[in-house]
Amino acid sequence: MLKDKKKTNHHTKQSPGAGDETSPAFLRFMNQKWLSMWNGNPPGTILLIIGILVALIMSIPIVYVIWQSLSAGEESWRRLLGNRIPDLLWNTLSLTAAVTGAAVIIGLSLAWFVIRTDLPGRKLWQWMLALPLVIPPYVGAVTYIIVFGPSGWLTNLWNDTNWLTAIAGDFPFKIYSFFGVFIVLTLFTYPYAFLIAIASLRRLNRNFEEVARSQGMSPIQVFLKVTLPFLRPAIGAGAVLISLYVLSDFGAIAMLRYVTFTAAIYYQRAGFDIPSASVLSLVLIILTILILWLESFTRKKRHFYQTSNTFKEPDIIKLGKWKVAAFLYVSVIFSLAVVLPLVVLIYWTVIGTGLGTIDASFFGYAWNSIKVSGLAAILCMLLAIPIIYLKSRHPSVISRGIDRLSYAGYALPGVIVALGMVFIFNNHIPALYNTFYMIAIAFVVRFLPQAMQSGEASLSLVSPRVDEAARSLGSPAWKTMLTVIFPSILPGILAGGALVFVSSIKELPATLMLRPPGFDTLAVRVYYEASEALYHQAAPAALLIVLVSIIPLHFLLKKY
Amino acid sequence: MKKGFSLITLGMAVTVMAACGGNGEENTNSVNNTNTNDDNHANTEEAALDGELVVYSSRNEMFVQDLLDKFTEETGVEVRALHDADPLQIQEEAGNVQADVFISNDLGALEYLNQQELLEGTDPENVDTIDEQFRAENNEWIAISARARGFIYNKDLISEEEMPTKMEDLLDPEWADVENGYAITRGGNGGMIGNVSALRYEWGDDQTAEWIQAIQENSAGIFEGHGDIRRAVGAGEHAFGLVNNYYYHQQLEEPTDNNVGFIYPDQGDGEMGAIANAAGLGMVAGSPNEENAKAFIEWVLEEENQLAFVGESLEVPINTNLEPPYEEAVPFSELSVQDMPLKELGNYFEDTRTLIEDAGLDLELR
Repeated sequence: MLKDKKKTNHHTKQSPGAGDETSPAFLRFMNQKWLSMWNGNPPGTILLIIGILVALIMSIPIVYVIWQSLSAGEESWRRLLGNRIPDLLWNTLSLTAAVTGAAVIIGLSLAWFVIRTDLPGRKLWQWMLALPLVIPPYVGAVTYIIVFGPSGWLTNLWNDTNWLTAIAGDFPFKIYSFFGVFIVLTLFTYPYAFLIAIASLRRLNRNFEEVARSQGMSPIQVFLKVTLPFLRPAIGAGAVLISLYVLSDFGAIAMLRYVTFTAAIYYQRAGFDIPSASVLSLVLIILTILILWLESFTRKKRHFYQTSNTFKEPDIIKLGKWKVAAFLYVSVIFSLAVVLPLVVLIYWTVIGTGLGTIDASFFGYAWNSIKVSGLAAILCMLLAIPIIYLKSRHPSVISRGIDRLSYAGYALPGVIVALGMVFIFNNHIPALYNTFYMIAIAFVVRFLPQAMQSGEASLSLVSPRVDEAARSLGSPAWKTMLTVIFPSILPGILAGGALVFVSSIKELPATLMLRPPGFDTLAVRVYYEASEALYHQAAPAALLIVLVSIIPLHFLLKKY
Repeated sequence: MKKGFSLITLGMAVTVMAACGGNGEENTNSVNNTNTNDDNHANTEEAALDGELVVYSSRNEMFVQDLLDKFTEETGVEVRALHDADPLQIQEEAGNVQADVFISNDLGALEYLNQQELLEGTDPENVDTIDEQFRAENNEWIAISARARGFIYNKDLISEEEMPTKMEDLLDPEWADVENGYAITRGGNGGMIGNVSALRYEWGDDQTAEWIQAIQENSAGIFEGHGDIRRAVGAGEHAFGLVNNYYYHQQLEEPTDNNVGFIYPDQGDGEMGAIANAAGLGMVAGSPNEENAKAFIEWVLEEENQLAFVGESLEVPINTNLEPPYEEAVPFSELSVQDMPLKELGNYFEDTRTLIEDAGLDLELR
């Protein structure tokens, strides 16, 4: 349908005379509709086809999972709805709510301290407190098990200290519990809220608070009535990122022996109970959509305006006697979320190196990781270009639709994307099934939007006049794109590629589900060795993943 | 499906485990005959091999990888392994076969695949060293090493007298009150599936379902695998755990946390005997590297490699001519073993998974 219209359009454009003779009024009408849909600026056929194809490929796995779940059969549905889904819902939602709440509060309070108060070393803290972002939560979970687990460092120390056990009994903290999962996920996700809150607080105009204070409000009232509502969008955005993360996490949850929807889908799939896996996936997809909808719904209800012409830097609040307490609070969070994991990883890496863990097979795993993540990054960079170009230069219902479809895999857990990929490749593309290309394609489906966002930011800086000028000088669209647009957005595209690379290298569940025989990556090894309690083997790989993950921190800190 | 099992198999039930204990003289004679030409065939055939071999294994990676590396070293065939594979992956990929060989720690899974015609018979040399009861009719699968289920316990936390002595004991909620409680694996674990199938054979479905329910409610820890359990029990995190016997042997080998004991359950008069199972391998039907798969199976059957297969796991070789690699292992001949032909496990495989799932144990972890 689309193609036909497109052809006609092309045809008429090239030879209007012939078009008048051959095309009846109906076609001309369609042609006009088509042009008006694009505001008189339709894209080239090839560009459009590429865009549509990419968007379709991006959404196929999700559509497939939904289709499978709907055809799962009454029996699977009844069994799952009866005893499985209610428990999983409770496990998943209570954890999501608790982690989101705690992580937002921590992120927000830390941001407030480092931006608005005279906390000692506040400039340094601003990026130090963002550091947990480089520690994938499953790696964080491993380090917490090593320290707080039933045979962990601290547990043994406590239980061997007689006077302590005499007073307080055995080590009280159980890491394999709701509380353990809650702590670990909170510590390694709060930076999402922290970074967004920092960006908002920096833009906060002092005038509002001054007005409030002149009305006789106390500092606390000012915070609650003025600052907090102003931060509301930032809180919402942070909360969405965190709750979507908790919904999709597999590694940390599996290692801490907690079961949410994502883990349940993984185990069902690992046991090849495909109908159940897809039914559970559908529920998880609905939860994800609900969270996204909830956020956009609450955001629409309120608008906040900043007056830019009278902007004054917000003043710095003196902490006074609270300075020590605030410093302590910030230090404790930093120690738990950054120092502790790094110390544990470095300790075990040193031991592992002594035991010869970093050998040929370690480099083999690293090379596999680089190979598959690099391929995904290159594909993402290539595929992002036509889509962002379509979106920015040819805005219309269609290009917006393409853009939206490209986000399908981004919001959803890797487990579901992987489930879709297995269906499709095993049934329809057997030649690629069980090759590492399957993992790379899953990464593209999951992370293409990262490359798009970064590229879009660059493209928005290039005026459409530039390519119009090039086109008017007789350069065809594809040539304009290659010679004019591409070089100017290259830095943005490369940054996007780097983000995709890093996200891919630490991705766990899709890699676990899709890896072909004999193809282990660093992430898979961390998961396997840690679950076998072979920490000296897990740590070097985990440390390498952490080091690589510093790359996106650079971009993120620049962005906020 | 049941008729796939001959009465002969049932008749052999009583001698099933005796065969691997070294007690069954009548079985070992045939074994000895074939052993003589073992040495000279070793190097002739494998010289011509190249290419790759894809092995799916549901066993712990640590028990299998060394064996596969040894094969690569000796033959030059590159082995690509998928560890922790579920037997149903073979079924799922039947239209697009990936694996050449499937290695399993549950004969139920192997026999199930065989019944679905997903395995192919082979005729390897030296196969006679494995008693017929431990092979499928046309050698679609061959068992190499045996194990029994039982309780590993921490001697600091609980004494032998206080321990349960029967599988049935776990039905009683009193075991929830033992200091630090006890540990089991999640229901998706191959060893647990075999355990439950054996109980169904013995008790029927209703009591077995009650048993699953009981252990799910009363256990203090539910783990992904048995290695976690032996470590946890050794470290005193749990008083005891339901594992295969060789995990006890492995824990004894640890430099620390090794004050553990082991109970073989149901050993009393008139009790069912220990639940036995075995690890083995079979060639996948339509295997893409069939020559290599056949060569691998033949290679594994060389006695040196049978021992390597048992290897790290410290199980007991099924070949009665071979010394168990671990001296403290209780020979099966001294054990009272459940009188079920292991092939029978295949009949229960699929329903057992449903039973476990209905009880909610397949996902549970804690």
